Amino acid sequence: MTAKEFPGVPADLAEVVERHGHAVAAGDNATVLADFRPDRVGQLLASARPPEGMHSAELLDVEPGPDGLFSAFIRYTGTGGEAVFRSRWIQLDGTWLVTQVRNVPDTPPRTSMAHPSDDGLDAPHWEGLRRGELRMQHCPRCDRWTWSPRPICPGCHATDLEWPVVDPVGRIYSWTRTWQPFSPEVTGHLPYVVVVVELPGAGNRRILGVLLDGDGADVRIGAEVKGEIEPAADPEGYPLLRWRLV
Amino acid sequence: MTSRDRAFRGATAVVGIANTPFHKRGTATQSSAQLTLEAILAAAADAGIDAHDIDGFVSYANDDNEGLAIGAALGAKEIRWSTMVWGGGGGGVAAAVNAASAAVASGQADMVCVYRGISEADAGRQSYSKGHMGPLLSGHGVFAPAQICALRTQRMLEVDGVPASAMKALVQAAYHHAQNNPDAVAYGRPLDPAVYDDARWISEPLRLYDCSRENDAAGAVLVTTAERARELRQKPAYVLSGVQGAGPDWSESVENDLAYTSAGFHPAMVARLWEGAGVKPGEVDVVQVYENFSGPAVASLIDFGFVPKGPDAGRVMQFENLIAPHGSLPVNTAGGNIAEGFVHGFGLIVEAVRQIRGTSPNQVPDAALSLLLGGPMAPSVGATLFGSDAVL
Ligand SMILES: [Zn+2]
Repeated sequence: MTAKEFPGVPADLAEVVERHGHAVAAGDNATVLADFRPDRVGQLLASARPPEGMHSAELLDVEPGPDGLFSAFIRYTGTGGEAVFRSRWIQLDGTWLVTQVRNVPDTPPRTSMAHPSDDGLDAPHWEGLRRGELRMQHCPRCDRWTWSPRPICPGCHATDLEWPVVDPVGRIYSWTRTWQPFSPEVTGHLPYVVVVVELPGAGNRRILGVLLDGDGADVRIGAEVKGEIEPAADPEGYPLLRWRLV
Repeated sequence: MTSRDRAFRGATAVVGIANTPFHKRGTATQSSAQLTLEAILAAAADAGIDAHDIDGFVSYANDDNEGLAIGAALGAKEIRWSTMVWGGGGGGVAAAVNAASAAVASGQADMVCVYRGISEADAGRQSYSKGHMGPLLSGHGVFAPAQICALRTQRMLEVDGVPASAMKALVQAAYHHAQNNPDAVAYGRPLDPAVYDDARWISEPLRLYDCSRENDAAGAVLVTTAERARELRQKPAYVLSGVQGAGPDWSESVENDLAYTSAGFHPAMVARLWEGAGVKPGEVDVVQVYENFSGPAVASLIDFGFVPKGPDAGRVMQFENLIAPHGSLPVNTAGGNIAEGFVHGFGLIVEAVRQIRGTSPNQVPDAALSLLLGGPMAPSVGATLFGSDAVL
């Protein structure tokens, strides 16, 4: 087997990566697991989602960086389509090991929990998204924005609350980049960045959502972001408000 | 009328304590009820009482086992008090002790058991977050308390300027203490600082060792009157003061909490704890601080005034200061949730009492004031201050 050459990439790494791709496609678990950094096997296994009926691998590229790691791009093909994994490699005690892996391009997780809550309090918010609008709870009597929604206004105890449209523009109040597969539904989307956004248009109430293309982004508190409504996956589902750095 | 005037201070004491072994999650053969009963019987034996005489039951964190069912299994002669503290997770750990003390101090019951048991066999995974991650969180990929605490910790670091070294020092102290505690999950497994630094991200800025991990285990403590406590075999750990709850614009608000980087111990609550006990923060000998994650524990110590806000937090949050016997602020002296074992902070109650008894694996010499802080960055938080007879 003649390994391809990649600028700035050690020849032995290119060889290891090529072999790794074929092992993954062949379901050679012993080889694959031996390529993973031992203290994070579980996280790595649940990070990326392969295509159904995977049968072959093609090494697309290996490049240096970031942070002293090397990034390898491998396309896996199966009966159900294809998927590109970006694995990041580190050399420990003379052995090249995978320390991160994800599907590329970076797509946000979509979970089965994207729907109104059981008590229905937030239903106008979700219905608003279906019409392409961000709507949040507001009290017309005392001009108080309330989030998350409540059965009555905590300020004046009014019961006739309204749901005005809010301009989905704000600043990042805080953020986290999640690497741990807390649910099988996020496999294929890890890591992803969740932002808490402060909305001047809603009395500086904060709303939470996924930051698009957040994987390699330089995320900072205070950065301006703009919301985009991502359509539902099916007619029964609900759209989701996503965020993008301005 | 202050809570001190209401004679809560010193009216009750913890007289029996027990943890079951901390089994690795999913490995206990017993149900959570069996583990809980094992702990209660051990606490009764520790106190030297007949478990049939327990007449009150208190738990928290949506424990699967109702007090009446536990009482029935024990063959209780009479059940006079049965309370679940609302608010998921560890927010209720100190509040449960306070509830038991309130029952005893007011004469509603005489021997109240606080308990909590987890067994993955019947409770399932992530029993801590059930019912608290609605669609406005989980619809956006936020499923776990780790992610909520990561968001708040990130702002504490990035905006308040608390150094990440404060979190590391806390974790190192916990692992250090666990090396003297044969019952701790981290006993015999010291944490290399480089391993901490290089561990995988869970949710930035939290890495693996910043996070507690559930065990299959249970704990129980017994609360009775100060009078009765003096007749029993163990040195009483008197309840001097207790606080719990949520401040303004705090709780179940999808990250709209007002004091966002606080642990939730708002100034009025903190003042009430000190005032109720007649104690100043500098007089506390040892602290058991709930570390669901390292960041919220640091925030708790800031809320209570043990540690300055912002960059100066790093001056106090240093390994040498945080360890028994001679650190200026010994914390989590049995290893805490992170290194001793996780049953929603129950081990922290037991250790807070051991410090008063003088039986901690990392005893602070002559500890007379021992503080328990529960539930940081959770919808409800609470604290209990224990004291020896020297401070009554
Ligand atoms: Zn109002």
